[in-house]
Amino acid sequence: MTLIHVPRPDLKIAMNPDRPVNALLKAQVQHLHGAERNLPVRHRTDIYINAIKTEGEAAEYIRQVTTAIHEAHKAAAKKPTRGIAIAAVASDGIPEKSKVSRKAKKRSPKKKTGSTT
Amino acid sequence: MPPGLDNLKHIVVLMMENRSFDHMLGSLAAVDPRIDGVTDALSNPDTTGASVKPQPLAEFQSQLDPDPDHHFPAVDLQIFGGDTSPARTANMQGFVKSYFNQQEDVGHSQKIMYYFTQSQLPVLTTLALEFAVFNRWFASIPGPTICNRAFAHYGTSFGRVDMNPIYINEPFKNIYDRLLNANPKHTAKLYYYDATSSTMEVANLLQNEPELFGTYQQFLDDCNSGNLPQYSFIEPNYNDHDSDSGEEVANDQHPDHNVQAGELFIASVYNAIKQNADLWTSTALLIVYDEHGGIYDHVVPPACPPDQFTASANDTGTGQPFAFDRLGVRVPAILVSPWIPKGTVVSNRVFDHASIPATITRFFLGSYSPRSPRESNADVFIEPNVAPVDPARNLLSLDTMRTDCPDFDV
Repeated sequence: MTLIHVPRPDLKIAMNPDRPVNALLKAQVQHLHGAERNLPVRHRTDIYINAIKTEGEAAEYIRQVTTAIHEAHKAAAKKPTRGIAIAAVASDGIPEKSKVSRKAKKRSPKKKTGSTT
Repeated sequence: MPPGLDNLKHIVVLMMENRSFDHMLGSLAAVDPRIDGVTDALSNPDTTGASVKPQPLAEFQSQLDPDPDHHFPAVDLQIFGGDTSPARTANMQGFVKSYFNQQEDVGHSQKIMYYFTQSQLPVLTTLALEFAVFNRWFASIPGPTICNRAFAHYGTSFGRVDMNPIYINEPFKNIYDRLLNANPKHTAKLYYYDATSSTMEVANLLQNEPELFGTYQQFLDDCNSGNLPQYSFIEPNYNDHDSDSGEEVANDQHPDHNVQAGELFIASVYNAIKQNADLWTSTALLIVYDEHGGIYDHVVPPACPPDQFTASANDTGTGQPFAFDRLGVRVPAILVSPWIPKGTVVSNRVFDHASIPATITRFFLGSYSPRSPRESNADVFIEPNVAPVDPARNLLSLDTMRTDCPDFDV
């Protein structure tokens, strides 16, 4: 059996989160923005996507919305109204106070993680 | 029945980003003349009329910046050389002209002809020489990423040739739903690198069926524990970002991301499968690129039976509608399995990304309908394990599993 060495890139050169967003990432951000608008309000971010200019900024937005989509589906699956469209969960009769409380709980760790990106 | 097909329980597809066949594997023509790569006879004119030959001068990063245009009108120019007449024929003479349009720098535009040497890409070239390399695997559309990736999931892009979201309101189900809703139920998963990289299939699969997805770490865990689904589709890391485990460099190989990072990723996927002996025996891995990224390739994309959709002249941006009756530019594609004879070169058969759902469907489900016209007409890269198996088409043809397959030190 032959063992083939695979060279590693120099991280100092390869890693550049300040690189301008390419067309693919722009499209991905736009698509996620479309998906975000269908989420219950408490799962949405407050990121203005037109201000996203770098790969690192795009990455943070992508992380937040992807995580939110998973969380929204998990939350919906726990409801007795399983199978109903996620959008319906946004107006599912949860007391307003409870919604605010959940939103605050969700946002706290996101900000913490976001500061490292 | 061939033991390679008898043993096959898992198919894994890894789809990388935006590199052409000649750019990545063209150097191998000098190693094995059966591989249809770069030769001295090839060239493209630049905007001064000078002839520009492919040269082995590709760099891992910072060379193809700005990102070469690969939207529909630019690819039309690349394939037809700027001829817009009704009687035009494809000649692959417009790559340098197309890249010139972005910066109007003649010297820089010539870099679109550069290709990697074999030694620069030890992973991809080794896999191509060790297993099966496809001489005629094309992008599904002469256009960008999103619509091409849609063909890998749905067997069609539902009429889209651009980067806009593809909202499915048609009868053709994605390959994952086909498998998961089959009787008996099958297993399938899309593995994106992590939540910060996410997926390019947002509008339908992530938004409506997030349970289909796992992370790359889950893929590694599933390989290690022997819990890999029957069908896995892997997406690379599309962006540079920090994670709990440190700096994550984009490994999708999309210009201007580092190509060596992609090599490491490909090797990592291969190693994850190979390190589990049971999995290695029972898995086939397809490594393929979604489209050529505007980078030179010399093989004219062939015509194909049209899809049932047509992109309007407005959508194509060329002034002409498109009936999905021509494939995109050729991309690297390699099939890995210990049941494939070393040095297999697949010629005289044409594949595109519609071959992915076509193959998965036929192998695991047999007959299935409805499927798009493009998928229904697509060739399969793994034969169904149903007698009689045509030995001339079966790539997993060895009677005894190989024990000489390479390992990668990552």
